[in-house]
Amino acid sequence: MNRRYLPGPGILISVGAVVAAVLLGIVLIALIGVSIGDALDAFVDGTIGSAYAIAASVNRSVVFALVGIGFVFANRANLTNVGGEGQIALGGIAATAVALYGHVAELPLGLSFALPMLAAVAAGALWGGLAGILKTRAGTNEVISTLLLSFIAVWLLYWCVQSNALLRQPMTNSATLPESLEIPDLTKLPLVTADPSLPLNIGLPLTLLIAVIVAMFLTRGTVGLRLRAIGLNPLAARRAGIATERYAVAAMLMAGGLGGLAGALMLQGDQYVLKDGFSSGYGFDGLVVGLLARGSVTGVIASALLFGFLRSGGISMELQAGVPSAVVRIIQGIIVVALAGAVYWIDRRGTSR
Amino acid sequence: MPDSLLTLTGVTKRFGALTALNAVSLDIAPGEIHCLLGENGAGKSTLCNVIFGIHPPDEGVMSLNGVPYRPAGPADALRLGIAMVHQHFSLVPDLTVVDNLLLGQARGILDRRACAVRVEELSAEYGLALAPFARIQDLSVGERQRVEIVKCLMRNPRLLVLDEPTAVLLPPEIAALIDVCRRVAARGCGVMLVTHKLAEIKSAATRATVLRGGKTVAVSSNPAEEIGVLVRAMIQRELGPLGHAAEAALGLSDPTPAEARAAERPHDIVAQIDGLSFLDSQGVKRLDNVTIEIGRGEIVGIAGVEGNGQSELSAILSGMLRPTGGLFSVQNTDLTGRGPHDVTAAGVGIVPEDRHAVGCVTAMSVAENMFLGRLRAFSRFGLLRRAAFHRAAADLMQRFDVRASGPGAAFSSLSGGNQQKAVLARELTLSNLAFLVAAQPTRGLDVGAVEAVYGHIREACRRGVGVLLISSELDELLAVADRIVVFYRGRIVGSCPASPAYRERIGVMMSGQPA
Repeated sequence: MNRRYLPGPGILISVGAVVAAVLLGIVLIALIGVSIGDALDAFVDGTIGSAYAIAASVNRSVVFALVGIGFVFANRANLTNVGGEGQIALGGIAATAVALYGHVAELPLGLSFALPMLAAVAAGALWGGLAGILKTRAGTNEVISTLLLSFIAVWLLYWCVQSNALLRQPMTNSATLPESLEIPDLTKLPLVTADPSLPLNIGLPLTLLIAVIVAMFLTRGTVGLRLRAIGLNPLAARRAGIATERYAVAAMLMAGGLGGLAGALMLQGDQYVLKDGFSSGYGFDGLVVGLLARGSVTGVIASALLFGFLRSGGISMELQAGVPSAVVRIIQGIIVVALAGAVYWIDRRGTSR
Repeated sequence: MPDSLLTLTGVTKRFGALTALNAVSLDIAPGEIHCLLGENGAGKSTLCNVIFGIHPPDEGVMSLNGVPYRPAGPADALRLGIAMVHQHFSLVPDLTVVDNLLLGQARGILDRRACAVRVEELSAEYGLALAPFARIQDLSVGERQRVEIVKCLMRNPRLLVLDEPTAVLLPPEIAALIDVCRRVAARGCGVMLVTHKLAEIKSAATRATVLRGGKTVAVSSNPAEEIGVLVRAMIQRELGPLGHAAEAALGLSDPTPAEARAAERPHDIVAQIDGLSFLDSQGVKRLDNVTIEIGRGEIVGIAGVEGNGQSELSAILSGMLRPTGGLFSVQNTDLTGRGPHDVTAAGVGIVPEDRHAVGCVTAMSVAENMFLGRLRAFSRFGLLRRAAFHRAAADLMQRFDVRASGPGAAFSSLSGGNQQKAVLARELTLSNLAFLVAAQPTRGLDVGAVEAVYGHIREACRRGVGVLLISSELDELLAVADRIVVFYRGRIVGSCPASPAYRERIGVMMSGQPA
């Protein structure tokens, strides 16, 4: 068995970075003047306090995981997709458009909710693929292009929900909010269990399936090997006859498509209406989840769960205990910094011999 | 025994688990040319870096003129009169010779005229012809090296260390360099000449020290007469069974004429290079109307100083670079401007010039490197059949004597020779191999590996593969190739049979004059 695929010191160091960041966060809460007991109670209530809280946290994690898996996939080819936010937004737009105006609600065999999802995947893939094409044809750095495409997508969404010609609900009076109509019930994602107090939708098994397939192809598949070669030495990969440009575009299509799917899950599984601020930072958190995973899909699942529960707990701490949600953001920031430090440390230890 | 200038006693240097230098003792006297010999990886460069203050020794002591010498860095070494010319030059191409010399030495206002006068004095004194106001980018490699040497001499050093100075030079330039060394030594300065070529020792060295595996294995105070002893110490084997190419690589023997080898050769053309040209993005002609035909089982050598279009030629032939003019076809399949995948599919094997940049992915395993281009043969539903994959790799490793802990070993853990053998294994086992392009296939390899590499290439020739061999080692070309084509500034200056009788002529052609 190849050691590469076993959890190595990298995972342990990631966990260590997270623990250190959380401890710092607790100190921060105390400094603000909120009772640590109240804050922790609120955190527990919002994360594992009830079946509903758990389900809500898991659904958040699923979104992070999809963006993170896409990030890890593209990153195998040394491509950094920071455009999750825009890909989610575009997925949301596509899913809303198809669910509301695609006449899909009456279709059988689950097509009513599957078609909006597919549309979202296609839209996200388009956005990611665009960055891939810019990279291979014009040499544009994908970090820049995915980031800027994100802004375009987020403002496109704003335009869609503001314009009556696009997705804004019909204006009945001056107080009509700038958002879409609610999507039909049949286009909403079915729950895994019939129990509405545990609202886990089919996004969870779908994401786990995707995670297993991607992990298998990355570690044991020829695709993973080729992507890795491209990432490590694009010249040698090209010389070996690998169509490096096609693979790069495909990797970005994949990352974008998963981002789009994440947008569909958010819309069809949770929000049901498209409104301004729809993606609300999920794409950037997903990026951090991908970074935190250090290239492993298992790592993505672990850090997605961490971020999902952290965000749920953060919302709960804000509402119940008056801890500013900014503190949770700060903890996430500290995790990123601690992780970057840890990576630097590992690399230095590796090369200074 | 002359008074010692620099004495090393029991110097040991470790890098992690690797002991690069193991209790090395050495002394250099004023006015002598001391040759440091050894194969690649023997510790020569490490020893230079210890002397120059780049690496502090882990154990052992050094003394300079009887005073303990513990440099904290190159600045200390320079201050104490030790100067070094590195393998890789550190010159700014856009600046003139004088400006490069003043860099790092001058303070305040630059006195270019005084510096130019000094350059001219030194040029005259040591026979180092240099134009003080020429730009570095317009100078040849040999001239750039002279700038580096002048940079050292301006400091009036007591010890001049030259790390593999002859690797990049034309044959006449090597003779000139050795002459410079003699003049420097005649003024009482110690010269340490690091090399793996024995021919240079014969003509220059007053003493020689041989390193092998980080240890001093032989010291000779009459190296010209004791070449045999030194070679045995260096490669730890008798000279007898050494291959011809290996001897040529050491500069030991004159290669025998190629006529015997070329006796009965069918004249089928395997590969045709017809009027190939390449203009780079700045509009500079890197390749100019190059036409070569390679026959079945023929080895055509490309000679020339590096940077005269050889890299561009091999990049074009391997499909990595699109020519701006001309044609390239193999067995009547037009491959002009086709990508690497098509080139490989047409039966062209490529041993790239830069093994690490193009030839392999060092962070991947040996097996992965061997079959990266042929993964389809080992895949089922897109998943790799790892057992079969590793079996096939182990088989190739055995056939080509690639020594590694196993097919899963990281490519970076292999020695240079084994890496090159693995690349050869990959390229020579293409099922329809008809044409092999080998660019600098022995660079950085030790003698045993040189022999193995040429053994495999010759074996491919016997099966009818045509070979284009690009090398800056003229002696190796003379030993291995059937005929030699000489490159200068992207053009073919001339060609001749690969016979030592033509060595002088080839040397002249390498400097751009048609002979």
